[in-house]
Amino acid sequence: MEQKHFKVIRKKILLNMILAPVIPFILILGIGYYYFVTSLETNAIASMKRISEDHREMIESFLTERKSDLEFIAGSYTFQELSRPKALAEVFNRLQEKSDAFTDLGIFNDAGLHVAYHGPYRLTGKIYKDTQWFQEVIKHGYYISDVFLGYRKVPHFVIAVAHEEEGNKWVIRSTIDTFRFNNLVRKVHIGKTGEAYLLNAEGMLQTERHSGGNLMDKPLDRIQYPESHRSTKSFIDKDANGVKYLYATTWMKDKKWLLVIRQEKADAFEALTSAAYLIILIAIIGGSVIVTVAFYLTNGIVERMTQMDAEKDQLGQQLIRASRLAEIGEMSTGFAHEINNPLQIMKSEQSLIEIFISELKEKGQLNQSETLVELEDSLDQIGLQINRCAKITQSILKFGRQSEPVAVDVDFKQFIPEVTAMVAKKASVNGISLKENVSEDTPLIHLDPGQLQQVLLNLFNNAIDAIIERHGSSGGKLIVESGPKENGKVEITVKDNGQGISPENLKKIFSPFFTTKPVGKGTGLGLSVCYGIVDSMGGIMDVSSEKGIGTTFTITLPAASPNPLIL
Amino acid sequence: MEKMKIMLVDDEERFLATTKKLLAKKGFDILTATSGSEALDILGTEKVHVVILDIKMPGMNGLETLRQIKKLYPIVEVIMLTGHATGETAVEVLKAGAIDYLMKPVDIDDLVQKAEEASEKRQRLEAKIRKGIKNHGTEAF
Repeated sequence: MEQKHFKVIRKKILLNMILAPVIPFILILGIGYYYFVTSLETNAIASMKRISEDHREMIESFLTERKSDLEFIAGSYTFQELSRPKALAEVFNRLQEKSDAFTDLGIFNDAGLHVAYHGPYRLTGKIYKDTQWFQEVIKHGYYISDVFLGYRKVPHFVIAVAHEEEGNKWVIRSTIDTFRFNNLVRKVHIGKTGEAYLLNAEGMLQTERHSGGNLMDKPLDRIQYPESHRSTKSFIDKDANGVKYLYATTWMKDKKWLLVIRQEKADAFEALTSAAYLIILIAIIGGSVIVTVAFYLTNGIVERMTQMDAEKDQLGQQLIRASRLAEIGEMSTGFAHEINNPLQIMKSEQSLIEIFISELKEKGQLNQSETLVELEDSLDQIGLQINRCAKITQSILKFGRQSEPVAVDVDFKQFIPEVTAMVAKKASVNGISLKENVSEDTPLIHLDPGQLQQVLLNLFNNAIDAIIERHGSSGGKLIVESGPKENGKVEITVKDNGQGISPENLKKIFSPFFTTKPVGKGTGLGLSVCYGIVDSMGGIMDVSSEKGIGTTFTITLPAASPNPLIL
Repeated sequence: MEKMKIMLVDDEERFLATTKKLLAKKGFDILTATSGSEALDILGTEKVHVVILDIKMPGMNGLETLRQIKKLYPIVEVIMLTGHATGETAVEVLKAGAIDYLMKPVDIDDLVQKAEEASEKRQRLEAKIRKGIKNHGTEAF
């Protein structure tokens, strides 16, 4: 029941000790992690957006420059001049000096006829009137195509500019080196997996992709588009292979091309992963430290509580014993007092009878006879028994009495041999080896030596009686020991190898009138008086015994203060 | 020398009767009283040398009676009988002026011995007082 009680308390303390620090600890870690994640994501997305915008600017300016190059040529030369292949070749060479992105140069008349061409293919004479790019360029003045195969069956894209000369429109067109354009677009450095590519309005790749995907392929990734022309859209989504990417998309070229910048999420948020690992590590280490400390402290507390409980129990028992003794003492003194009055009368009557008998004898009125002898013997016996009663009542009164002790500093090295000497004769007569072992460092004790002598003699006599009961007249052992104990206490033990005391008798051993001795041999007050004396000295008297092995009485007394006040 | 007059004071009448007989046999003149107030009454009329007084009595107890006796008749010697002789009671009794105290049950011979000692003391005291008065008297008159 007690045990269970402590288990419940232990559980409660442990739970509180763990939860109280763990809850704020986890909260702090969690909040820290949340803000870290948020700021990291915000940063990553912001930088992704910025990169995508910068990249768009760069690509757009590249295209614009190429367009301007062609516009410059168209403005500088006439249709006639450029229609001559030789002149075209010269212009092309000059153009290439400025930008090697151009791979060819072509001139078309307003009917879509390829009038002149300089480049790796044979395109002169082909008619482009019905192609979309030609119609667009005539309509808008310039045109930048998507990547397409065309007559060449090679992916390429073109920039075309229309020029009006004396009412006639003609067109100059150049193919852009897809390899060079690819490198330009792809040239973006974000982490390990960062990449940039272009999609046309149909979602077809306009540049090659690091992570796989050739020109004009249509990747299956879901792409979210920015709402307006110049805005950037950022989002996180899985690609076709299930890898999560952080995307930024922005429109280019009048919403014809979409610049996509993306980075694997794990790469983008790499710091986050290491932070998460670190936080988990801290949580595990911190948590285990908290749990260990909680266990350690709880064990300490519960142990102390158990100990205190045991001490309380012991104290309670001592208190009960002491108060019961006091009660019995008070009751028995009253009782003894009352008995003394009738005893007094009996004694007086007995004396009177004795006097009457002797008077009668003197007067010769009573003849000497056997009956008279018996009568006198009987009368003596009454006197004797009255005296016995008187002795009992006197010892009871002594038990209840509070005499003033005279305390002096007692040196056990001297005192204990003196007391043992008093029973040495009795011990040797009964073949008991009497040993005393007083430790050299036994401190002085401040008490009434007469009282302590009474206690020790009582214990010695009891021990000798118990030894005789078991061993007869040889083989007995009586050992008296004393020495210092912790907290400035001194311990005296009286140990015998007598018959021992049964557990049920052991419980009653300090109770007044409890005796196992035959009628008339003991009043049963000896040990209770001893107990009372030791108690009044501020000491504790205890006993342990085993039937058939022996008994040990232990007296623990406070030592005299080492520096007594000299008055 | 006049017969010593002893007064026994105790609430136990049988004790009084028997002890009276015993002490009478020892040659003393004995008076008895069963209470403190009765004892004081008797002291007012009789010349008593020694009072043997039980400490525990109903009504006026032994100690009070002792104090009254010592107040009214300081020359009367009192021996107390106590049920139990605790240190405090002994000191109190002697302070209040008792010559001695005995513990019940008391042996008649011890009682006689104490009574004689008390009587002797009283006689010495009386003699001293008488002498003192005489000396005083010659000086005064």
